[in-house]
Amino acid sequence: MSSPLRSLLKFQESGLLLVILALGLLLTVFSGTVRTPLFERTADGGRQRVFTVNAEGERTPAFVEKNKFLNAQNLAQLAKDTSFTAIMAVGMAVVIIAGGIDLSVGSIYALASVLGAMVMRHYGPEGLNSPALGITLGVATCLGTSLLCGLFNGGLIVALRVHPFIITLGAMAILRGIAFVVTKGQSVGGFPAGLRDFVRLETGDGLSFVPLAAMVLVTIAGWIFLSRLAAGRRVYAIGGNELAARFSGIRVERVKLGIYLLSGLTAGIAALLSLGYYGAATSGDGQGYELNVIAAAVVGGASLSGGRGSALGVVLGALIIQMISSGIVILGIDQNYSQIIIGTVVIAAVVLDNFNTWLAKKRLTAKAG
Amino acid sequence: MKKLLLTLAAGLTVGAALASAAPRIITIGVVAKSQGNPVFQAARVGAQDAAKELSAKHGLDIRIDWRTPNEEDAQKQAEAIEQLVLAGAEGLAVSCSDANKLTDAINRAVDNGVPVATFDSDAPASKRFVTYGIDDHSCGVQTMAELAKAMNGKGVVAILAGNPNAPNLQKRVQGVRDEAKKYPGITIRDTYYHKETPQDSAAKVEQVMQANPDITGWAMIGGWPLFTENALNWQPGTVQCVSVDALPAQLAYIRSGHVPVLLAQQCYEWGHRSVELLIEKIVEKKNPPAVKEISALIPVTKDTVDEFAKNWAKWLPR
Repeated sequence: MSSPLRSLLKFQESGLLLVILALGLLLTVFSGTVRTPLFERTADGGRQRVFTVNAEGERTPAFVEKNKFLNAQNLAQLAKDTSFTAIMAVGMAVVIIAGGIDLSVGSIYALASVLGAMVMRHYGPEGLNSPALGITLGVATCLGTSLLCGLFNGGLIVALRVHPFIITLGAMAILRGIAFVVTKGQSVGGFPAGLRDFVRLETGDGLSFVPLAAMVLVTIAGWIFLSRLAAGRRVYAIGGNELAARFSGIRVERVKLGIYLLSGLTAGIAALLSLGYYGAATSGDGQGYELNVIAAAVVGGASLSGGRGSALGVVLGALIIQMISSGIVILGIDQNYSQIIIGTVVIAAVVLDNFNTWLAKKRLTAKAG
Repeated sequence: MKKLLLTLAAGLTVGAALASAAPRIITIGVVAKSQGNPVFQAARVGAQDAAKELSAKHGLDIRIDWRTPNEEDAQKQAEAIEQLVLAGAEGLAVSCSDANKLTDAINRAVDNGVPVATFDSDAPASKRFVTYGIDDHSCGVQTMAELAKAMNGKGVVAILAGNPNAPNLQKRVQGVRDEAKKYPGITIRDTYYHKETPQDSAAKVEQVMQANPDITGWAMIGGWPLFTENALNWQPGTVQCVSVDALPAQLAYIRSGHVPVLLAQQCYEWGHRSVELLIEKIVEKKNPPAVKEISALIPVTKDTVDEFAKNWAKWLPR
């Protein structure tokens, strides 16, 4: 076997990449084409429709035929839709690898969103109209809130020695409750335009790349942390065997505190992107996202019993789930079946993962024997 | 060989003729608030019926692409709008869970040449060309007026209000409160929010009644608890209740005497009328006379309940 192929097959996430390629191929072949309006850039940087003039002198809008799946706009949309879940999934991967769970990420997302939004509205066009200060304080509030929430989770888990499932389940309700109380159930909008302009920054073809860039940066940071830093190796050690890790001198409590801080922070980053992209926040945001994030982590190879997983894997897991979800729209499949399909994929991923682990163990036993 | 080529050419000609005779396909994307709410399922049926009727009328093949989140989630709705535009939908009908969050997505759809109609819950600052639904403040006013009539202008009223983030529900609550001011004998105890599922809302009514046994009237600005069978645990007439919506399960409460009046939203029409307006815009290039098209609430009482119930044979998902 040639060396690049061998290294590809050894690559931890090669299976996920193959699934993504296969899904992409299927969607490209079966999606058909779509007629989309043609646009051009104006002198002032805006976009305008392109018109053609027919024989009778009538102006008619020009269209272009594209593959429904394999076109730049759709791929950018796919990346954007994936980014919110994927960024949170990187934080969740670290928690899951350490043998923990964080059910409060959806609520952290909501609370960080609404508090950041309230600060930005205060300094927005309908408030003090101080955009630079508003955005700076809003970003700080959003990320600071998410870190505080992570500290709250980690602190309680370490101090009370209660299972993270219980603590983060409680935090899920408390944090969403706070979000509701502070907003009184109202949607919070009216920010300075700067954040929106930045997050929705587009290339010439109208592609938003900031959410994608944020996802890539968070993934790289997660990958470096987990695979290149001693702190990351400690996370695997705790997830693999907490007692052994403790006896080997790892300060388990400190690591646990750190992982919930990271999980909170990634929820805050996703909330910040969402604030910029959608321009508003409510206390109802992010409901059920914890399950999407956990599903992405599981599909991406993170083991719920701890000790296994990677940042890149969970991002690819999030991408697979989003590809299926978008594929259902592109192929025009009745939406009622989407949950069944996604649920089946999650179970299939776990079964395959278990089979893979069993196979690896069998090979090791055979080698040892 | 010549014969084969001739046959092939003839086949291709027939194929091309058939292809050119195939009706134009128009896909309308419909994004409602939540899958689990029966009023939106009626809207779905309405949209599908309108698609069938208008396909026959205009010689088109109109298809409905229904993309509604399982639970209310404005971000998921925005994503659905963006995906539908990319998938080639020529028009969109949207019921907005959060107007602020959906305004940008609607505007981008319109900028991409896809007209958007809103129904039930509007995004007033967006570029949608029309909105269809009730006037929410008037709905609250009408609910309270009917309740005050049933309570003879005195008593303690609780407001049941569903999702606290929904702007249309907030306007209805305000309408109830504004109308209640006209009745000095009536006091509003509070507004009670809940997850918009029949079980959660029925449990909320039960909890509130346990804690506030002096409540003598319920203004339900959505009919969620009445989708269950035993939501109102009191003797008919002891506590009055007026509710918005008149779904099949709710009609039983009229018959039992627990509810004197239901105010039916025309939820089937949300889908039906939205598709009509979109097709007029896309095919006939016609804009509606006004951006706001108000649909009336239909009062359903003991006298009219059987007649009204017949509508549901048509409106329920088939």
